Amino acid sequence: MNIEEIKSLIPQRHPFLMLDRVLEIKPGESIRAYKNVSINEDYFRGHFPDAPIFPGALTAEAMAQAACILFKKSMPDVNVTTPYITNMKIRFLKPVVPGDQLEVIVKSVKMVRTGGVFETEAHVRESVIAKGEMTFACK
Amino acid sequence: MPQVDDLILEKELREIIAKIIEIDPDRITLEATFVNDLGMDSMMALEILAAMEKKYKIQVPEEKLGRLRTLKDAINLAKEYL
Repeated sequence: MNIEEIKSLIPQRHPFLMLDRVLEIKPGESIRAYKNVSINEDYFRGHFPDAPIFPGALTAEAMAQAACILFKKSMPDVNVTTPYITNMKIRFLKPVVPGDQLEVIVKSVKMVRTGGVFETEAHVRESVIAKGEMTFACK
Repeated sequence: MPQVDDLILEKELREIIAKIIEIDPDRITLEATFVNDLGMDSMMALEILAAMEKKYKIQVPEEKLGRLRTLKDAINLAKEYL
């Protein structure tokens, strides 16, 4: 799934679109997607000026966006205008830096028409750099 | 299907619910309502259902979510699908 297809499924846009491509999606089960982390992103000017690190909050956002795509592909008859996170518990294990390809994997624990509960991991190359769980609701 | 003792089920579900709502397990009586008495919202109910499904390897249909209002409801729901 390319960027245009991603944009057709979630409302976020630059500079807050945190996925470049969906590698694999199994409706009702899981999704695997990635973002190429570029030094050209504006937030690296401040996070941090002498040591650019991809903000953990944005890794969490990438996970949430992938979860939203999984939800929409799993529940095509549900009209999701605004997805919002109600719970997120993520442990960050290693930093992500410019040049990394951030891959997120989201697995459904339970989805209903009003939202879902998901387990999630983020990888850079073979390393798990973050993992946790999240819940989001749809309006 | 495994037989789960009622008291064990009650203890386990109380712990699951307390962890999700982030309150002292002792406050969760069998009859205390999640929303009015314990301050829970609808998405926490979904998290409880998801945690129950995961722990007991059961599948509870979406339409049963509205029945999950107290610890007693959770026990009955789990027993129904175990």
